[in-house]
Amino acid sequence: MINLLSYTCIVLGIFFWFWGTLPLLGDRSVLFKLHSLSVADTLGSMSIIIGLLLKIPSEWPLLILAIISLAIWNTVLGYVLAYCSSSEGSHE
Amino acid sequence: MILNLALIAMILTLLIPMYEAWQDDDIWQKMLAFASAATKCSIMILVVSVLRDDWMIGVVGVIILSVGNAGLMLLAHVLKRMNDLANE
Repeated sequence: MINLLSYTCIVLGIFFWFWGTLPLLGDRSVLFKLHSLSVADTLGSMSIIIGLLLKIPSEWPLLILAIISLAIWNTVLGYVLAYCSSSEGSHE
Repeated sequence: MILNLALIAMILTLLIPMYEAWQDDDIWQKMLAFASAATKCSIMILVVSVLRDDWMIGVVGVIILSVGNAGLMLLAHVLKRMNDLANE
């Protein structure tokens, strides 16, 4: 039962990865791609890690650390990339 | 067996940002693709560490996840500063 749940989480995560990464190939703006990446990609990665956590509970400190750094860094990096890539002078 | 298949699917998703970084000349699109590839690689390392039941590989993945993203953030600031200096 737990095994099935963890495989479901991992497969869902890979589905979210494809969903978030495929817009990278289009001709859209950086902000559009950043949005799809930071939402779907982060959710997919977290789902994969939760699947791994269910599979091997003995490694939980490491995996919880991975989830926390994913949640913090991907939001911060999203803001920084959006700020740096937009035209200069408009933020003063 | 299923984790092996999952790893193959992950390698397929990893090819997408690599292709994007290769064919796009805009520096911010490249940064975006590299940020995506870094996250995907570290998650793949975590999957391998669980697959092989090896803690030390997992530690490498978590270090890439935190320090690698911090490095990308610093790189974005350096690039912005260089652009500002070039436009002055």
